[in-house]
Amino acid sequence: MKKLSFIALILLIGAQLAVPVMMIKGREKILRNGELYRFLTRPIDPADPFQGRYVRLAFQNDYVPCSKDRELGLHRNQKIYALIEVGEDGFARFTSWSTEKPVKGRFLATRYLGNKSEWNRISRTSMHKGIRLDIPFDRFYMEEEKAPRAEHLVREAVSSTNCWAEVRILNGRPAIEDVYAQGQSLRELAAKNE
Amino acid sequence: MGNLSAKHIQWLKQELPALKADGIVSEDTAQAIESYYAEKTNDGLHWAVIAFAVLGSLLIGAGIILLLAHNWDELDRPVRAVLSLCPILIGSILSITALIKNGGTALRESAGIFHTLSIGATIALIGQTYHLPGNVPGFFMTWTLLALPLTFLLRSSGAALLYLALACGWSGVAQETYGQAAGFWLLILPGLARLAYLIRTDRHTPETLLNLWGMLIALCIATGMTFERTLPGLWIIAYSALLSGTGVLGIQLYNNQTGWNNPAKIFGIAGITILAYIFTFEHAWFDIGWAHMRSGWQYRAWGVWMDGGITGAFLLFWLIIALKTISQHTAETLTLSVFPLAGILCFILGSIKSTADTVNALIFNGFMLFLGIMYIGMGCRNGRLSQLNGGMAVLSLLLVTRFFDEDFGFIARGTVFIILGTCFLVVNLIMIKRRKKQEAIA
Repeated sequence: MKKLSFIALILLIGAQLAVPVMMIKGREKILRNGELYRFLTRPIDPADPFQGRYVRLAFQNDYVPCSKDRELGLHRNQKIYALIEVGEDGFARFTSWSTEKPVKGRFLATRYLGNKSEWNRISRTSMHKGIRLDIPFDRFYMEEEKAPRAEHLVREAVSSTNCWAEVRILNGRPAIEDVYAQGQSLRELAAKNE
Repeated sequence: MGNLSAKHIQWLKQELPALKADGIVSEDTAQAIESYYAEKTNDGLHWAVIAFAVLGSLLIGAGIILLLAHNWDELDRPVRAVLSLCPILIGSILSITALIKNGGTALRESAGIFHTLSIGATIALIGQTYHLPGNVPGFFMTWTLLALPLTFLLRSSGAALLYLALACGWSGVAQETYGQAAGFWLLILPGLARLAYLIRTDRHTPETLLNLWGMLIALCIATGMTFERTLPGLWIIAYSALLSGTGVLGIQLYNNQTGWNNPAKIFGIAGITILAYIFTFEHAWFDIGWAHMRSGWQYRAWGVWMDGGITGAFLLFWLIIALKTISQHTAETLTLSVFPLAGILCFILGSIKSTADTVNALIFNGFMLFLGIMYIGMGCRNGRLSQLNGGMAVLSLLLVTRFFDEDFGFIARGTVFIILGTCFLVVNLIMIKRRKKQEAIA
């Protein structure tokens, strides 16, 4: 009985170690071999009791443009693939979507979150922009003192300059590499202003 | 027999020489008594060692999670990746040691708690290092499933309670993120199986009692979390059946044990009192029943079936336990057993007649009044101060609330208060007369 329990415990420890090792392996593979994209973003700073402080990234282009009248045939949280195109300004944006995994090309595996609309202050109407996507790289973890400082600095910076996230994507799976504001890494920016 | 305090043992040690000298106990008997009570003190010390081991591992585990959450970004990625595996490795070494050495309760509990927390710390650190998206339910589910076998392999109650807490935590975040947490009812099954095994083995051990407390709290929280609320008011029947069944189960399993030693009874009575108190308010009965079925994107078509299934399971549990116990014919068993019947009746009344809310509230005002008086009576008869105080507390809560309740007019409240007061005084006079009669006969 004791021998059986010991074997079961060793198997369990194997499984417990396999899960984090697979997570590390998967992310390392994306960070080493994935293609690099820049996504325009606007960070906000909240906290997670287990993982610490992070900067939440609110992306400007978190949608695929499409007409309001188009019959989508999608349900909320359905898995879809968003095709990516890099504009002349060097920033990535989504151009179309598919429910089938593309064989080749640039794409991101994501979920459909409903319609994307924007409030027009001048005409005081809501403008339909397309379908909203779940962006699976919305957290950038930072040291607990640096995260609120970074958010403050970025808030000041975004009025005059761009803020973007550098993300590597491999086979539709993303891994965030760094976040930049005023042309500098957010970590360096926060460290300089200590 | 419970453990004696060190103060009593000290007193006994002082008394024994005198008892020996007077020839009341022999030398051998005195020695036997001394060694018997020495064992009892060791037993107390043994539980203290376990308590400190549990607290120590809990604090260290939680401390490691907080330290890692600080985010040491001066360390580069590969170092952090290796570092993130350290908590699980340390936890595994502890668990292997506990199993190989066939360790005592303190070692098994420490290993179980630390190892369970270390799984969360490792996953959290990887999430932080690789900036994984905020999938909180996924994080909780991975942690919960990887921790589950530890409760069985190490026979650790600490790990079992952490598992229940994680399953409850998952139900909360899953309900918020996905809009449903039906999976909780699968997660709770291994916990229920372990509890059933412990009750069958020895229902009176502190380990069984602790697990029973944990399971009751988890069930109560998770029922509220997982309910889809498609049929408004169905929760009234579900909670009534769960808490009534629990209270009666306590009477069946632990008979006259009270307090910490009878978790099910205490939990059931406290739960029924809180529920009955909520039901004394009219707004608890507004817009309930099938005429107010909820629909829309936030409600699922199968929600009513899941809620119905949970309610049905609780009703079945209550019915089996109540039928087994009701033969005792005590006022307490009968009162606790019929509580869900009142809930079902009022739910049906509220569903078919929208103006029944006042009647329903009055029925539960009456129930709570009876509950209070019953426990006061039981306390007086059995000479138990805890029952007497409990009854007084229930009654005071009800009367103070109704005194300030503006839903009832001043005349109605005043009349009812005077009638009730008169009843109490009359009963008091009858009791005094009876006592005098008994004294005269004696």
